[in-house]
Amino acid sequence: MKRVAITGAGVITSFGDSPAKFHSALCNGERAAYRLDHSEAGVSVCRQGGHIGSFEPEQYLKGKPLRPLDRTGRMVAATAKLALENSGWTVEMLRGHDVGLVLGTMFGSVHTISEFDRRGLTEGPSYVSPMDFANTVLNAAAGQTAIWHNLRAINSTIACGATSGLMALGYAADLIRYGSHTALLAGGADEFCFESFCGFDQAGLLCRCNGHSEFPIPFSAQRSGFALGEGAGLLMLEEWNAAVERGASILGEIRGHGSAYDPAGNVECGTETITRAMNSALHDSGILSAEIGCISASGNGSVAADRNEAVAIHAAFNGSGDAVPVTAIKSMVGEALGASGALQAVDLLQTMQTGVLPGIRGLEQPGPEIPALNLCRDKQEITAGFGLINSVGFDGNACSLVIAGASPGL
Amino acid sequence: MELETIKTKIKDAIQQVTGVDATGISDSASYIDDLGLDSLAILEIAVAVENHFKFHATDEELSSIRTVEDTIALVKRRMFAEVA
Amino acid sequence: MTTRPAIAVTGLGMVTSIGTGREEFWNALLAGKCGFGPVRSFNTSGYSVHLGAEILDFDPRTHVARLNPSMIGRSSQLAIAAARLALADASMDLGTIDRSRAGVCVGTTSGEPHFIERFDDRYVQGEMARAGDGFIRGYPCHVVPGHVAAELEFAGETMMIPTACAAGNYAIAHASDVLRAGRADIMLAGGADCFSRITYTGFARLGAIAPELCQPFDRNRKGMVPGEGAAFLLLERKDEAMARGARIYCEIAGYGLSCDAHHMTAAHPRGEGASRAMAMALKQSGMAAEDVDYISAHGTGTPTNDRLETIAVKKTFGDLAYKVPISSVKSMLGHTMGAASAIEAAVCALAITHQQIPPTMNLHEQDPECDLDFVPNQARKCNVKVAMNNAYAFGGNNSSLVFTASAA
Repeated sequence: MKRVAITGAGVITSFGDSPAKFHSALCNGERAAYRLDHSEAGVSVCRQGGHIGSFEPEQYLKGKPLRPLDRTGRMVAATAKLALENSGWTVEMLRGHDVGLVLGTMFGSVHTISEFDRRGLTEGPSYVSPMDFANTVLNAAAGQTAIWHNLRAINSTIACGATSGLMALGYAADLIRYGSHTALLAGGADEFCFESFCGFDQAGLLCRCNGHSEFPIPFSAQRSGFALGEGAGLLMLEEWNAAVERGASILGEIRGHGSAYDPAGNVECGTETITRAMNSALHDSGILSAEIGCISASGNGSVAADRNEAVAIHAAFNGSGDAVPVTAIKSMVGEALGASGALQAVDLLQTMQTGVLPGIRGLEQPGPEIPALNLCRDKQEITAGFGLINSVGFDGNACSLVIAGASPGL
Repeated sequence: MELETIKTKIKDAIQQVTGVDATGISDSASYIDDLGLDSLAILEIAVAVENHFKFHATDEELSSIRTVEDTIALVKRRMFAEVA
Repeated sequence: MTTRPAIAVTGLGMVTSIGTGREEFWNALLAGKCGFGPVRSFNTSGYSVHLGAEILDFDPRTHVARLNPSMIGRSSQLAIAAARLALADASMDLGTIDRSRAGVCVGTTSGEPHFIERFDDRYVQGEMARAGDGFIRGYPCHVVPGHVAAELEFAGETMMIPTACAAGNYAIAHASDVLRAGRADIMLAGGADCFSRITYTGFARLGAIAPELCQPFDRNRKGMVPGEGAAFLLLERKDEAMARGARIYCEIAGYGLSCDAHHMTAAHPRGEGASRAMAMALKQSGMAAEDVDYISAHGTGTPTNDRLETIAVKKTFGDLAYKVPISSVKSMLGHTMGAASAIEAAVCALAITHQQIPPTMNLHEQDPECDLDFVPNQARKCNVKVAMNNAYAFGGNNSSLVFTASAA
């Protein structure tokens, strides 16, 4: 079984487009979500939302027309450029070596699909946009990105709801560990749009913003749902020896992962399922829970899921979970769906590198049903060789990933 | 329907698809050879033009479009056909 | 290289426009039955084409037992039906399995399009206020494997791989990897797509839909015919399948997945990506081109796909391309999108089991540029030990799976 080195990363977020800027903003307690008042099609949605207003694709993607790509495709292609640069992969190298892409996404872009369909309804089926049709498939962003950057190895798209990004990292890691792939970009993306904003609101999953707390605070006694965010994150994963041979900087390592499904089906993931995912990841990595130095929780303000995850952490860590520092960056990023797991991974790497863990923004009093855990209210200094990331869906999926930070001597 | 209106609209559609200012493009410009467009982009331009002038081209007509001039001719043919 | 555990196919289940369940489906294929007809599920009067391959007689209540069929979309219903058929076909006693080690991996193009189509209908009519929570609970495509898992109470890895028209192959490839890595004991792997207005509209706009017939590799072929369906393969590690006395259809010897990185809707003009996927599949399987006895083609019936696919096969197989029989069951089923390569994988398993290959129907005058043996119009008895399943998708996603007869 081969080892999976992480040699670079790229992010598109409200906090900036580098892992360092992203991490620094989180440590400063900045937040992406703000109160959005969006009226469309006779419906008003007034909730917290994390739309990246400052994203300018032309900054990253030059030399070819952008019209064929929708916004999600542009975010992914831009993130890929950043990750390739960050890991030292040049255009020349990409000509000579097949690099792949595994992208997690919940919706692809439901906005693109919807706009395409609506134009057919209002203008007639012969006036729909051929270019938009090409982007109505969920693997469009990955395909567009491969075209843009000449990525000719495996090109796969993973859709598992909010766990998509972390599942994509696990999928890609296994391709390297057990197969013959040597270099893969892996991560996730989802864009904020009316269709999903409205959908989540009508499903009663978004934070109520009752004036008591203006934005969702994971694990808090006042939590009432999550804020919808957006973003994109990609890690460059390489077979360890190949990475060393080309002189790559090794930022860390994916040691293992695990996932599970709650057979109660399409409900906020239960404790037992989340515990199984965590134990499965620990077992897969060969790391004991006592060796985990920090946890990036999935907690996003959801009433049931936050509680279930907290109880699961307590169970998986045999009651010693109250020692391991836990953060929940969705307190600032919001729930970025397919991007979440990847953004958590990027931040966890930065955490282990800088020795500073972001706090859970705004957390004062955890809910009484939350077991005693070391929930970090403020940023704190830590030393961690291994970290655990959780991704918990509102629909039964749970996934966990274990990462090792860069160790001295690499 | 003035010829200039037709040309302007076609060039608007080219600009939308390519992101490039199309006002200087000659009528005889070939989509593939001069503008570097692929079949999907050409179809996109043609559908945008159809949508604007509200006519329906056949698949054969669409697949035979090679130049800006072909597009102008199609619109003129279709506009007069629909009016007549 | 460490030995990779052999992966056995022990159950097959499918719901298609020409038959439901292994026996009915296979007999229909061999008889050359076609599932085309005028589109019924929405009004095509504003379109220049009207042909589809819909499943006309599907009653979800026959197959969906634990979930409420009226609360789930049609793709999920078809998927559950195919999953149950595969499990029954495998004589898998669910009482004996560890459900936390039973997973589901599905491929799709559209997921549950009816939910977004209803959302859009309400949007244009200004009726969004009463949309309710059905959209988020019913639409996102990962609900399809979720519903299958919930129906069967499977609690292992549950994943959707939405790589469009090649998705079934991607799902089967991944499921075989999950088993090899020891992450599960049984995996249901397949694809599902119900008939979709959005898909139909898009392909019609591209001029890709045939007006009368699907005629892969024919000189006069005019396009593809959108369809719908679902298929699952039950996969287990071979030694465990043998230990429980399961019938083994074949083994999954290997796969190859590549990307053209060329164009969103058109394949590489020299078949490079497709050819690489075939070569990778052969290499991973430990096979050579001359070992392949049958190829299940992507063969959509569009002028471009069939020509470029022929080029890709010749690039991989050289002169041997003229010796290996190749057929496209899309000539009978139409293009079932994400289900297609899963159905075609089942076809490969059945070809190996029965030593027969289905025809390419409606092949009246072969295109001189498609001059290989496409098994025209008549099923054929054939020595099949090794079968290859090829599928290609938007975004240049190429896939090849290799199936082999199982040595005892």
